[in-house]
Amino acid sequence: MTKPKKIAIIIVAGLFVYLSLYTWNLRTGHLDALSSYTGLDISGVVLRPGIWVSDKVSEFWHRYIYLVGLKQQNDALRDEASNLRRTNMLMQARAASASRFERLLGFEPPKHWTFSGMRVIGHRMGPAGALATLTVDKGTASGVAADMPVASLGGVVGRILRTGAGASTVLLLTDPNSSIAVMGAQNRSPGMLAGQGYGKPLMLRYINQNAVIDPDEILLSSGLSGIYPKGLPVARVTKIQRSDISLFLTVQAEPLVDMAGLEEVLLLRRAPGQPDQADTPPASTEDAGAAAQ
Amino acid sequence: MPLPNNVLAILWWAAYTVIGVWAHRTLPGIDFFAPGLILSLQEQSGGRTALLALVWMLLAEGTGSLPFGYGLAWYGLLAVMFFSGRWLFEARSFLFMCLIGLGLGLLHPALTLGLSSLAQLKVSLERLVLEGAMQTAAFPLVWLAADNLFPKRLRQDARPL
Repeated sequence: MTKPKKIAIIIVAGLFVYLSLYTWNLRTGHLDALSSYTGLDISGVVLRPGIWVSDKVSEFWHRYIYLVGLKQQNDALRDEASNLRRTNMLMQARAASASRFERLLGFEPPKHWTFSGMRVIGHRMGPAGALATLTVDKGTASGVAADMPVASLGGVVGRILRTGAGASTVLLLTDPNSSIAVMGAQNRSPGMLAGQGYGKPLMLRYINQNAVIDPDEILLSSGLSGIYPKGLPVARVTKIQRSDISLFLTVQAEPLVDMAGLEEVLLLRRAPGQPDQADTPPASTEDAGAAAQ
Repeated sequence: MPLPNNVLAILWWAAYTVIGVWAHRTLPGIDFFAPGLILSLQEQSGGRTALLALVWMLLAEGTGSLPFGYGLAWYGLLAVMFFSGRWLFEARSFLFMCLIGLGLGLLHPALTLGLSSLAQLKVSLERLVLEGAMQTAAFPLVWLAADNLFPKRLRQDARPL
């Protein structure tokens, strides 16, 4: 056999093996699971001690040495706390009456969700980190599963993309592959919020030309996709444009959370006894696609 | 008493891997293990290099967000580039390393775009091109630093490929 023939056979055989492995993995997910339970977990183990040391040094510096502006910050926080207490007092009364009305009208009680904290140990990592993601320090050993919603105190952050035993990857709201079914907080106009990449505005799709939506309106998760609970703040409307050639408004929004500055996030999971996420049908084909990915 | 060569090699490559993981966290989209793989191919036995490639492939795949396949193709094609380039260039020359860096800089966007289109994922081409350019610049520099820091004792403990 001549040398060029040998090389051609080796290339074809290599390509065949590669594509066979790729399609087998797409069907079964075994190789993805193997890399998550080894590579993702090993990187978590490598990163955690350094992050712990960095946190401790930063905490020591800010708590005991760098105390500039502490009194002013304390006063501002006291004011904010008293304002929040006052608002909370009014809201409690309204929430109690809303529950009463729901019972009277025969509404089902809202789904219960529990929150647990996770520490961010990295953002997008490695040469294959093509999507906008976060790496967090909890995995399947702590009950984390794919597609669980992740939020911060400011609003929705994204959802779990893949899990290892002790670390997981979160797909951020700002990634172009992320879509969330939302509605306006005041006008309740429904739409689909999609990311366009880090540093770019979010795009609110499928808002009818005659729908009511205001600039600065907060967008809440509508709960229709079956992934996110209803009512979580997701984004704020920044720009609304009417088009002569489209059936829909062009609406831009900004996330409520600074993704780059996140240090801790909250994992949301349904309380035991609640139906699975899969029980709720996806709101649309796009949302179903996002859930499948 | 000096450390046995095997123990020294394990410690050196473990330290390289830990630094590489932190570098991946700091500069996403750029592979810092690739220069190590070439250094290992130049200085060590094939078995040890294969083991390192397996560990680094799993790390790249595990921390990445694409379906499995990027690491396998990335390190496989890197090895192909090295062995095919050795016919023309001196294996340890800096120019050859710059050319491999250029090859990786072109490979990164092509591979990521190919795999993401297979998985129907949207990725930013501008960012991939920028990462490719950074990979081209970083590869020879990281190789040079690793080559200078690689223990002299380990260079002789195995027959180069």
